[in-house]
Amino acid sequence: MSKIESSPPPQMNPPVRREPRPPTVSGLLLAAVKENWRRLRTMSTALWLLGVLAVESIIATIVPQEVNVPQTVADWRTGEEGPGTAVSGVIDLIGAYDMYASPLFVMTLLLLFTSLTACLIPRIRGWWRITRRSVPPLTRHLGDQEHVRHLTTDLEPEAAHATVRGRLADRGYRTRDGAADDRGRTQVAAEKGVVVREGGSLLFHLSFYVLLVAIVLGQLLTFEGFVGVTEGETFTDTQIGYWIAEPGRWFGPEDHNGFQLTNDEFRVEWFRDPEFGGTPRIFEADVTVTTTDGETRTATVKGNNPIVIDGFKVHLLGWGYAPRVVVREGSQVVYDGFINTTVNDNGAFRGAVKAPAADPDVGLDVFLVPYAPQGDDGQPVLTGAPWADAPLLAFRSYTGDLQLSATQNVNTLNTELLTEGPRGGLRPGQVVELPGSDVSVEFAELRRWTNFQVSRRPQVPWLLLGSSLLLIGLLPALYAYRRRVWVRIERSADGRTLVTVAGRAFQRPQAFEDEFDEVADDLRAALDTPDLTPASRDEVAPR
Amino acid sequence: MTTAELSRFLFSPMTLVLYLASALFYLRAMAAPKLATVAGADTIDGKQNGPGSTALRWGTGLAVLGVVAHSAHVVVRTQAAGRLPLGNMFEFSSIIALTIVVAGLVVVQWRMRRPELMGFVILGAELTLVLSLLLYANPAPLQPILDTWWRAIHVTTIALSAGIFSLAAVFNALHLLRDTAEQRVAANAGDAYGPSTVGAAQTPVTRDAPDEVDADADQVLDSVPSRIEPDTEPEDEVDHDEAYHGALREVLAQRWVGITYPWRIALGAALVGLVFSLIWWDVQVSAMTAATMFLVTGVAWWAVPYLPSATTLDSLTYRTIAFSFPIWTFAVITGAMWAEQSWGRFWGWDPKETSAFVTWVAYAGYLHARATRGIKGRKASWLGLVAYGVLLFTYYAVNLLVVGLHSYGGIDQTVG
Repeated sequence: MSKIESSPPPQMNPPVRREPRPPTVSGLLLAAVKENWRRLRTMSTALWLLGVLAVESIIATIVPQEVNVPQTVADWRTGEEGPGTAVSGVIDLIGAYDMYASPLFVMTLLLLFTSLTACLIPRIRGWWRITRRSVPPLTRHLGDQEHVRHLTTDLEPEAAHATVRGRLADRGYRTRDGAADDRGRTQVAAEKGVVVREGGSLLFHLSFYVLLVAIVLGQLLTFEGFVGVTEGETFTDTQIGYWIAEPGRWFGPEDHNGFQLTNDEFRVEWFRDPEFGGTPRIFEADVTVTTTDGETRTATVKGNNPIVIDGFKVHLLGWGYAPRVVVREGSQVVYDGFINTTVNDNGAFRGAVKAPAADPDVGLDVFLVPYAPQGDDGQPVLTGAPWADAPLLAFRSYTGDLQLSATQNVNTLNTELLTEGPRGGLRPGQVVELPGSDVSVEFAELRRWTNFQVSRRPQVPWLLLGSSLLLIGLLPALYAYRRRVWVRIERSADGRTLVTVAGRAFQRPQAFEDEFDEVADDLRAALDTPDLTPASRDEVAPR
Repeated sequence: MTTAELSRFLFSPMTLVLYLASALFYLRAMAAPKLATVAGADTIDGKQNGPGSTALRWGTGLAVLGVVAHSAHVVVRTQAAGRLPLGNMFEFSSIIALTIVVAGLVVVQWRMRRPELMGFVILGAELTLVLSLLLYANPAPLQPILDTWWRAIHVTTIALSAGIFSLAAVFNALHLLRDTAEQRVAANAGDAYGPSTVGAAQTPVTRDAPDEVDADADQVLDSVPSRIEPDTEPEDEVDHDEAYHGALREVLAQRWVGITYPWRIALGAALVGLVFSLIWWDVQVSAMTAATMFLVTGVAWWAVPYLPSATTLDSLTYRTIAFSFPIWTFAVITGAMWAEQSWGRFWGWDPKETSAFVTWVAYAGYLHARATRGIKGRKASWLGLVAYGVLLFTYYAVNLLVVGLHSYGGIDQTVG
């Protein structure tokens, strides 16, 4: 044999170094998508997103929200209030005046749900696998476990095995049989807590989808309307029946129910002592409801007790005094109606009378002071008390052009083209003639009006379901502990059956100490055998 | 003496003094040599005598008396107002403090057998009460809108979980303090005192032989380090020597930006006092707050050696928060249900609703962080402290500074 060439010819092992292929756009994109998807799936991303959500919400607590306090927001924008127009501009830029509808917030929420979904899909798959066919693993190192106890019994090994398995199954463990090994020892492996702990966690996270769907669909299907009804008057649930109507996108005019609601009597009463003066103690309205099928019933709406009419909830939100004012020009009535006054900071109720039927237009700026008793000097004493024990209707009169062609607040006058005329004060039933004209004003009657909110929210039961699932899932996710127990059964030298119980805790090991003792005691009772060794783990053979 | 005056007297000075005295005895007991390590059951049962156990008995007795006086105050106030005393901030704070003390006695001292923590638990309650005095309001009737059994459910659970979260915050702060000291000592001494106990995940226990017989076994979950889950507590507290105790205190007193420790806490306390004086515009209030802060932080520094190990405090924090979190969740849900009932909408992003939600998110973040491998120990603890900060913001700032529908919790009136 000739000399053997041990080194391979150069061409047999050509250099594997290849020119790096120029990356393709699609390849890069794919890599980027994969990488981002991987990152999105990590818990720390979810945590960061949760943090961002929290920060955005905190901003929304400090910055006034347009949906809650539009006037304050307007003042912040003009710089009359708040930190000034420059800061306001920044706030507007990130949409923080309406944070929960801002692209920033919606984006965060969307990312969070994507991340959640990415986390959950493999977890659900894994959980399903565990549920279907997971079996607790057997162990070779039974004596090395943290908790070990030795028992003996006169039962045959097979019978002892069956008893042990049955007891453990009764205690909620998933069990598995280990066949006899080379020394004829059989084993029962048991585990609990793994399915319910992870299952609870999954249920907790899945409930967020229920909540999200309920909230989104709810926004589309909901209806909310506000209407003021004077005592004795009736309102009908139609598209035009409301002062303010806020239907969801999928709530059409035909979805209105058409019920009628009459405000029979509104009651409000206060604590009248000086210390807590003004704290109301009764706040309720008696109403008569006529449903579409002609049925009539009476009910009382209170602050905490809305009534429900065919799925529409009627809440009592606010109230005011409704003085009936009659304005006459000569003998002709040019205005006769109830004014829905609203309370101002001084405790007076303010409203306006607009009588375009007069020539020229007559407007009255009306203040109703509910409690203005006659003073010693004959002049009424104005107080801020809300009870109508001595009501006084004070007004400023205006003549000129009311400009009713333009939209305006029903309770304020646009005094631009009006000339101020004489003022006056009236007690109920009194009439006063405005000096220098043939116009007279009468304070005919005093009633109250009530502000009702009518709402339909089909999402509420679903939200309740979602939050119940959330709580039901949360408890096992936090408190169901995973435990494993192994039991080895063998025939001892003296012909009896030796049963070794071992256990391990995956969470809360302290709590498992008692739990393990309980399991071991239970098994001992079932096997009807005295304990061979003390329970203390310190006396277990060292590792 | 009217019932209102009686209720006020029972609260201040009675309850305040009893709690303070109790805290002092507990602290004395903590410093006694035997209690410094594993506070055994035998000490509580009174089998062991010595200055520590006597002080502990006094502390426990005074705390129980304090609870009695505090409860009497609540009962008398209920009588005076004719309603459950959970209508304004003062009453709410008072119930939170009562929760802290009762939970401390029942859970920390009796169940967990950790009386050495009780000094701080009671100090935490005392702090809450001193703050609540600033919000003192005479018993007054409620608005009809609040007069419903929803209030009992929602407000009680919120107060309960806020109290338990406060308890957790005490453990949390102590953990950070003790952990800082332990880490610095370990760094200084080059591990002379054993491995750092930061985070149970680092407990250096490994197994030689694989435990499993078959391929079905999930190996990952069975290696010991990874299966020590968030709420693991180490089995034994090592009984360290005096030198270690001194070193723990020493490292915390290291200069920081040229300021030594006692001055640092004085500075911090003065700053907090200043913030309070800006809110309440009251010198007395600020001085009181600053003094209390000084006392508490100073005591904490003094007590560092006697505290349980950082790992124990960490797991206590986790367990307390994990206990309170579902209660808070439930309370927020009932809040939404009540809002649907009385305001006609279940969620309106009212400042208070928002911040209750943010608090929930913050604590959920803490729990998730604990479940995530790698964010144990200090990082999670800071997160927990931030979450408690959010809770305080929800409670104090939103009630006092931001106007919303929940603003009936005002200082001197029950009307919003």
